[in-house]
Amino acid sequence: MRFPRVAILGVGMWQPTFPSSQHWLAGTPDETALKPLGLALDRVNRRRAGQLGRALADVTAEAIAMAKVDGSTVATIVGSAIGEAATMIGLLDQMWRHQQPMSPADFTVSVHNAASGLISIANKNRGMTTSIAADENTPAAALMEAIGLVVTTDQPVLLACADEPAPENLAGQAPPWAMLASAMVLGPAGRTPQLGELVVAHGPTATLRPERFAPLAVANPQIGLAWLVDAVLRGHSGIVPLDAGTGRGFVAELTAAPR
Amino acid sequence: MSAGDPTTRLGPLPITGYSVLSALGGTRQQHLDALAAGRTGLGPAPFELPFATSVGAVREPLPDLPPALAAWTTRLSRMLAHLIAGLDEPLRRARARWRPERIGVLLGTSTAGAESTERAYREFVRVGSFPNGYDFLKQHTFGAPLHVVAALTGARGPAWMVSTACTSGAKPLASAWRLIHAGVIDAAIVGGADTLCTMTLHGFQSLQALDQQPCRPFHKDRLGISIGEGGALLLLERTGDGRVRLESVGETSDAYHISAPHPEGHGAEAAMRQALQFAGIGPGEIDHVNAHGTGTKLNDTAEAKAIGRVFAHPLPVVSTKCYTGHTLAAAGAIEAVFAAMAIEEGFLPPALCSEPRDPDVLLHVPTSRTTGTFRRVLSNSFAFGGNNVSVLLGAS
Repeated sequence: MRFPRVAILGVGMWQPTFPSSQHWLAGTPDETALKPLGLALDRVNRRRAGQLGRALADVTAEAIAMAKVDGSTVATIVGSAIGEAATMIGLLDQMWRHQQPMSPADFTVSVHNAASGLISIANKNRGMTTSIAADENTPAAALMEAIGLVVTTDQPVLLACADEPAPENLAGQAPPWAMLASAMVLGPAGRTPQLGELVVAHGPTATLRPERFAPLAVANPQIGLAWLVDAVLRGHSGIVPLDAGTGRGFVAELTAAPR
Repeated sequence: MSAGDPTTRLGPLPITGYSVLSALGGTRQQHLDALAAGRTGLGPAPFELPFATSVGAVREPLPDLPPALAAWTTRLSRMLAHLIAGLDEPLRRARARWRPERIGVLLGTSTAGAESTERAYREFVRVGSFPNGYDFLKQHTFGAPLHVVAALTGARGPAWMVSTACTSGAKPLASAWRLIHAGVIDAAIVGGADTLCTMTLHGFQSLQALDQQPCRPFHKDRLGISIGEGGALLLLERTGDGRVRLESVGETSDAYHISAPHPEGHGAEAAMRQALQFAGIGPGEIDHVNAHGTGTKLNDTAEAKAIGRVFAHPLPVVSTKCYTGHTLAAAGAIEAVFAAMAIEEGFLPPALCSEPRDPDVLLHVPTSRTTGTFRRVLSNSFAFGGNNVSVLLGAS
């Protein structure tokens, strides 16, 4: 299985102590950046957003700025394996642990697409937005959905993947991981200034597997997109795995732009 | 040109089979009978709630999963197993025509396995441990049902779950439409499913969005929604025999509010206009709109304004949520099937509980069964996050 080739126009990344892709590339941690700030959101919606929504807002803003695309029109895809599970557990606690009425504000941001909705509001984007999930295959799925859009619309597409740690109460049910968020803007191949090009495929053996990520980041279902963003930032060419061995084995064949 | 506009018009694709499950029953015929008779599936909730509301509960016995998939057992995955069984014959034909890795699984859910997690978490709160057999990764996540569907159907192509609340079941049609036209796959199992959950009911109650009576879309005294459950699967193929085809899908955002629709319905209007534009047809070629029509004050007023601006002619507009309840992520898929049935069978169900009509709803909402030729039908779905989808189906 091979998807059509597309161009990479911009990237973004957030992980604890590395609040942007440039912090990550420079290897200069910011010890104060332990939580995403969600600065791309207006104040009201920043209050509404959880950690997941804030991280996604931060990385999409970085990728949009790098790609120099219009945030008010770019089609936007958000990927997350567990979405707002933490918010859901909070709602269940309200109902059953604390015997309280449910908070309507919390309920409205418990949907998986809360982040994509908040980002569309922040960017005044009235175009297509979506929110998808496919466990460890979420990065591959988000890339596939994005490539489908790029190929059929001939327009740039923004995608971002993130997962926050699984709710603490379910920790015994799921392996722990740290927050990780990455974003990428893709466009039609071969026409615009770009960071590189990629082909998503199933079958080839990975040749690039960045080693710099902490084990708690590698355990995050979204590590595949972070690996790809890392390789793009470093100008590498090769085959990047889109999951850590627990998914279906999709890869991105990356060709770096000449520098 | 705005983002999302195809530079080359994507052609229609045949829908070569579908299956549907809701409070109306578990077969196409049961749904046709109920819709033709104007018989609602709404009734009391099958579990205790501290407030009054009607729900559209699935009462069909659901199949057990095969032993190899037992760890993935949830109400949602069993609903999907029922729907896959109903799609058996067209799936068999598709598997004979296309390689497994060229058949995608693109579905929608908002609850995923939340119903299982609710029960497990309630036990955790009560006794401090999760019940035996509960597995967060196999039962809660949005991706878990994909494993079940792929295993039961043999599809090995791209697979993902759309979760955009109440548009989740409609958006996979757009994803599949693009992937088939991009040449990546030849067929896709698309649709959506959602289950009744205590949390969802409490959540909509907290928003004061539940009607105590069965929901009354477009009624002057409507007070909100009735939640339902169910699902639908449609088989979309590059080529094939189907009486109905997917002509296009419009997808837009309100960029207005996280849970309220734009009061003028601008995003809804844009989604309908985009669907028409993508299909290369004018509003006059649409014969019927299956409205999102939830029964909330805000949604129905905004949607009526949007429909009124798009269509100059008095085409019949019906919300079928008074039959099934608002099945949330399943609604877009179930209502796409209802749109297909209207084209195939030449009738529209009567709008239930819509009279006396809201004087601000200046639409033709037929309250008796309407027969005729319906060659092209739009099915609307709108969601939290300001997410709007309009699916355009046509006769082959």
